[in-house]
Amino acid sequence: MAKSIAQEFTKGLWEEIPPFRLVLGLCPVLAVTKTVENGIGMGLATTFVLVCSNILVSSLRKIIPGKVRIACFIIIIATFVTVVELVMQAFTYPLFLKLGIFIPLIVVNCIVLGRSEAFAFKNGIVRSLADGLGIGIGFTLALASLGAVRELFGNGTLTIWETPIQIFGPSFQPFTFMVEAPGAFVCLGLMLCLMNLVGSK
Amino acid sequence: MNSQKKLIVSHAPFLHNGSKISERHLHIIYAALPAILLGGLFRFGIPAIGVVCLSVSTAMLWELIMNRAMQRPVSIGDGNAALIGLLFAMLLPATAPWWLVITGTFVAIVIGKQIFGGIGGNAFNPVALSIAILMVSWKDFFDFNAMLVNYDPDFIMAYPLAALKNFGVSGIEKYSIGDFLVGRQSGGIGATFGIGLILGGAYLMIRGFIRWEISLAYLAGVFVTAQLFNLIDPVHYADPFFHIFTGYTLIGAFFLATEDSSSPVNFIPMLIYGAAGGLMTVLIRNIGAYIDGTVLAILVINLIHPLLDKIRPKAMGKVV
Amino acid sequence: MREMIKMVVVLVILSSFSGGLLAAVRNSTKDKIELQQLTFVKGPAIKSILDGASNDPIVDRFNIEYEGGTASFYVGVFDGQPDRVAFESAGKGFGGDLGLMVGVDIKADKIIGVGVTTHSETPGIGSKAKTDPSFTRQFEGMDLIDSFQVKTDGGQVDAISGATITSRGVAFGVTQAGALYKALKPQIEAKLKEFK
Repeated sequence: MAKSIAQEFTKGLWEEIPPFRLVLGLCPVLAVTKTVENGIGMGLATTFVLVCSNILVSSLRKIIPGKVRIACFIIIIATFVTVVELVMQAFTYPLFLKLGIFIPLIVVNCIVLGRSEAFAFKNGIVRSLADGLGIGIGFTLALASLGAVRELFGNGTLTIWETPIQIFGPSFQPFTFMVEAPGAFVCLGLMLCLMNLVGSK
Repeated sequence: MNSQKKLIVSHAPFLHNGSKISERHLHIIYAALPAILLGGLFRFGIPAIGVVCLSVSTAMLWELIMNRAMQRPVSIGDGNAALIGLLFAMLLPATAPWWLVITGTFVAIVIGKQIFGGIGGNAFNPVALSIAILMVSWKDFFDFNAMLVNYDPDFIMAYPLAALKNFGVSGIEKYSIGDFLVGRQSGGIGATFGIGLILGGAYLMIRGFIRWEISLAYLAGVFVTAQLFNLIDPVHYADPFFHIFTGYTLIGAFFLATEDSSSPVNFIPMLIYGAAGGLMTVLIRNIGAYIDGTVLAILVINLIHPLLDKIRPKAMGKVV
Repeated sequence: MREMIKMVVVLVILSSFSGGLLAAVRNSTKDKIELQQLTFVKGPAIKSILDGASNDPIVDRFNIEYEGGTASFYVGVFDGQPDRVAFESAGKGFGGDLGLMVGVDIKADKIIGVGVTTHSETPGIGSKAKTDPSFTRQFEGMDLIDSFQVKTDGGQVDAISGATITSRGVAFGVTQAGALYKALKPQIEAKLKEFK
């Protein structure tokens, strides 16, 4: 049963929201979500790459020979990732500094390659666009929410644009464990658990 | 391979002493009471009572919430949550703020125990896990010198292990083992009163509620390692009795290391498990960056416990 | 055979398209990126160190080549005298390299300020080296001695609580800066004379 284009878009927001449902692309999820701002920035960068590579892969799907398709996907994805990297350096330099190595690492993010292989290579341009946009926004939401939880408890602040907003006031003692790497795993696990709890009802 | 295994009846290790889980936990709580009542509540007064009550009640509350959330039968009645809350409170300074206690019992019950499937499923001792996470996050609240600054008793109130860390052996000359035994030292609510802890531990070992092998091997590990350090360099490293009667050593040996699901069940593994814990404790105290290594050492031996369980008697009739 | 040729052709076209696009993007963003690096990474540190200078230190800069690299010096003019410079140094922190900007008063041979430019320390702990000025302010007015260390190592500066390694990295970077400054002092003075 074919889904409508709207359904292709919305499936990325809940049914197949990447880190929580597909459990893919965990490397940036765990590493960059120390603040909300980092999460959103990383998510948007990934979304851009996803949409562009999905469109290009889907429009070239008749030309690309099956045997070298992965090589072609990687060329396309790597190109867009480098574009994002350069553009971020030129316009949002502070954010680029915080995300650092994780921007080039979008190339090896399984979500991007996975969508090219599993979806864009078999579907039309409009559908691929909707799919990429949906998955990308879902990824951004997931990163932002994880970043929000970790930053809120780990630092007592929420950073949306450059300036951290104090939420709990100055007497708050930050739960530093949350912004450390093990805290990321625990936090992700608890959020997965919550999602399953909500989803199972 | 699998079909063969099903038919083999092995003779060991089945540990059973005829008591119910709730009865066991009740007895462990009894055993912990002298240390808390005489060492903690008597010494530190009202704030200590507050911390203990809050810790026990929130631990049980988290257990109830998790039972409800996971749609399982309510398991507060087995006393495990209350025991975790009590042991957790015993390790805290008497002036711990309310949110520290609540977060701590949350980590212990939810992340330490219930996530692994409730009682018997936890890979780590929930209390040690919780204390370790809190120590990493809020170092200042585990600095007993700063936390207990408002108490002014008739004995030296500086935290013995901190004195050792900062000043070496010359810093601890003023302390006496006798003081440690009767609880005239600074530390966690239930961790200061040496005789109380030893009596509680002895009671549990005689009744068979905890395994004497683990506790004694743990203390022996601490003793031997500390003795070796002391022999090599008596200026920097304190004598073994100091290590045994300060910090969390006694409570770790009798109440934390012996926790059921995170400790081995056979004789040799129990000895290795305990001795490794003692070794790690002294290593962290003498060489590591932390003042007291007991909870971290217990987490480390919890990690090696599955490996130790591989050492076991050969099953009868099993062909290799 | 036909398939082989098709593969090669497709890959070549894709790669050249990708190369062309990247070259175009890089060309158009190059200047902007350089400016961004100067203003965001080094700018704030330079500005705070040379606070009150009558010129723009980012514009008035010169390079000195020495064995092992090139150093950029940012000149600050005070009371009509270009006698203060800021330059870069680096140390190793807890999460990786720590970029530092060190300001020196040429006349007195004293440190006038230290600022962290780039770091990857833990937010809220090591990052205080950059966000909490009370740590780096300790260096102000110190003589350029041979070795700076944190107090737990027997040195002169209080470490940031919980971030001894970061603090050590900063102290090490300042030590390095002192050595570099002493080695290049004649050249710096020569350049500053030209500047007048």
